[in-house]
Amino acid sequence: MQDDYTHVVLADDDEDDRLFFTEAFEELKLKTNVETYKDGLALMDALNEPETLLPNILFLDLNMPKKSGLECLIELKKNEKFKNIAIAIYSTSASEEDIENTFVNGANIYIKKPNDFNTLKKVLSDVVTINWQYHTNGLNKDNFLLRL
Amino acid sequence: MPIRKLYKSERFLRVIFGACLFVVLCMGGLAYKYIHDLSGSFRWVEHTYEVHLELENTLLLLKDAETVERNFLVSKDSTYFEPYASIQHDLDQSLKRLRNLVSDNPVQIENTKELKLKIEKRLAALNTTAEFVRNGTFDTPEFTTSFKQSGQLMQSVRFKINEMIAHEKALLDVRRSRSTESLFNAPLVVYYVLILSLVLLLLTYGQISTNLKKLRSKNELLETYKESTTQSELVSKHGNWIWHIEDDSFEFSDNLYRLLGEAPQSFESTMANFMEFVHPEDLDRLKEQVSKMIEEEDLPFIYYRIIQKNGAIKHFKAYGKVLISTAGDRRLLGTIADITDEIKNFRLVEERNLELERNNKELASFNYVASHDLQEPLRKIQTFISRLETKESENFSENGKLYVERIKSASARMRSLIDDLLQFSRTNKSEQSLEISNMNMLLQSAKQDLVEIINKKKAKITSDAIPPMRVIPFQIQQLFQNLISNSLKYSREGVETKIHIAYSKVSAKEIPEIKSTTYKNYHNLTISDNGIGFDKEYSEKIFVLFNRLHNKNEYTGTGIGLSICKKIVENHYGYILAEGDKEKGATFKIYLPFT
Repeated sequence: MQDDYTHVVLADDDEDDRLFFTEAFEELKLKTNVETYKDGLALMDALNEPETLLPNILFLDLNMPKKSGLECLIELKKNEKFKNIAIAIYSTSASEEDIENTFVNGANIYIKKPNDFNTLKKVLSDVVTINWQYHTNGLNKDNFLLRL
Repeated sequence: MPIRKLYKSERFLRVIFGACLFVVLCMGGLAYKYIHDLSGSFRWVEHTYEVHLELENTLLLLKDAETVERNFLVSKDSTYFEPYASIQHDLDQSLKRLRNLVSDNPVQIENTKELKLKIEKRLAALNTTAEFVRNGTFDTPEFTTSFKQSGQLMQSVRFKINEMIAHEKALLDVRRSRSTESLFNAPLVVYYVLILSLVLLLLTYGQISTNLKKLRSKNELLETYKESTTQSELVSKHGNWIWHIEDDSFEFSDNLYRLLGEAPQSFESTMANFMEFVHPEDLDRLKEQVSKMIEEEDLPFIYYRIIQKNGAIKHFKAYGKVLISTAGDRRLLGTIADITDEIKNFRLVEERNLELERNNKELASFNYVASHDLQEPLRKIQTFISRLETKESENFSENGKLYVERIKSASARMRSLIDDLLQFSRTNKSEQSLEISNMNMLLQSAKQDLVEIINKKKAKITSDAIPPMRVIPFQIQQLFQNLISNSLKYSREGVETKIHIAYSKVSAKEIPEIKSTTYKNYHNLTISDNGIGFDKEYSEKIFVLFNRLHNKNEYTGTGIGLSICKKIVENHYGYILAEGDKEKGATFKIYLPFT
């Protein structure tokens, strides 16, 4: 794989969401590689394999069987190996509690799954083209949740 | 007031009593002394008369002797001289008696001695005269001289006797005047002493009677307390017992028997009889506690159960403490409360709390279901519709396109319902804390969130300056947002939409809708518009959940927005009222208390 491709990974137990996600990137025609996992456990197992290419941006659903998104987040932040991965929370709910918990545990952005495919495309394109260096430095609780 | 205190004290009474006793004793002593003195002075008078009498007697005897001398001298018959011996003896006796009588008076002793000497001389002269007569030589000058001498001696004896009588009289006078004085003084002193002791007695009596009165009123108070204790025992299901430890006797109050399910004083009050009622499982623990109570001063409450004769189990809470009387007797005073009902209630409350907790948990999980699980399929439906619209729209017939449009609007409505419901269920006060907030900023934020629709409607929103209040900030912002969007939604066609938010401070009395309140003053926020308004009869109904005044074809909405407003205001202990004027506008009045 070439270096100028952005490697994007999604962990989500919902088949439809995985479909929307990949279709959106296909239509966007950005320079991205998209890979999806069906739950947190599968994601962590893959990431812990030494030969796996680490993603540039990791999208985490929160409510997943076996290992939840929050558990994955905590585990990733503990390991020095994963420090360069930008982590985007990608969830149906946007409850204060979830936002607070993921922010405190070091997630970089919080995305509420949109109701509309075109909105989804816009959101994903925004997230991929974010200057992560710039965004992470100025990160606070107000701009953590991506406003549509 | 130490003096007043002293006057009231028991010690004062003792002092008074002691003083009285002392005074009465003194008085008795004095009276005795005076009477003694008086009887003494009578004795002295008698004594003087005795001395006087004896002196007269002596003189008489001497005169008798002189008569014997004369008779003998004239008759020269010796038989006339015979009585002389007995007279001389009598004289001796008389002088001895005199000597005894005056034995306490040195002057008179001396006088008696002198008198005796003179009498002896006179008797010697008499004997000399008798010698002359017996010898028949009484015509001689020696006889004449001797006879003259005896006359002089007789005279000096008489003088001496008179002198002694005078001396006794003088003595008598002194004593009489002294006894008169004491006779005069004695009653006066006795009288004063009597008065003094009477005064003291009266004082003591007064003190005793006030003390008695106090004691009586204290006793009455005590009786009242006793009765009130009996009553309060009945009312509050209390009982008490006293254990006189020294003689191992018990007193149980009437209500204690009732608590045990027995008639008052229906069995002998002993420890053993009481322990018969105690639940076997609690018996050892209670006995141990009781023995501890006797040793230690203070113990926490004891909880134990008893079984009444009819089998009912009652829960008792007890406390006991040793009291030591002034005489040193130890008594264990115990109080028992029947807490069966409290325990029952407590268990009920606990059960209800658990139930409430369960309900809350269920509600929370419902919230989650609503926010997450219900939204997820809906979101997918909406996303799939948007996929259909963009990718497949050319394959649809006109009808197909219309149906897709209908599905789209139905799912959009479903989404707003879920969002609003979630908003409503999240509007709880328990999780949120009040904080001093800038109300103008909150209003500004609310307007910011509605900026698109405000611009679209070209609405003019004005507001007074609102002071800071203690509120839950995001809820108040929601309140402003809901009310303003409500006004915007129900604006009139063809009229410039105007919304005004007015502020004033009012006292609770000025608000007729507030019936009773703990707060004196209220902030009044009034949001008024010039929209379509509503009929007065709906002014309460519009706050009810899912209640809508209009068909949803005319105006979109879920009927939750104003219910949320009402809930928010009630979370702040306030009131929200709506006034409508059909085709003129609506006014919402919010009253928030000063906190």
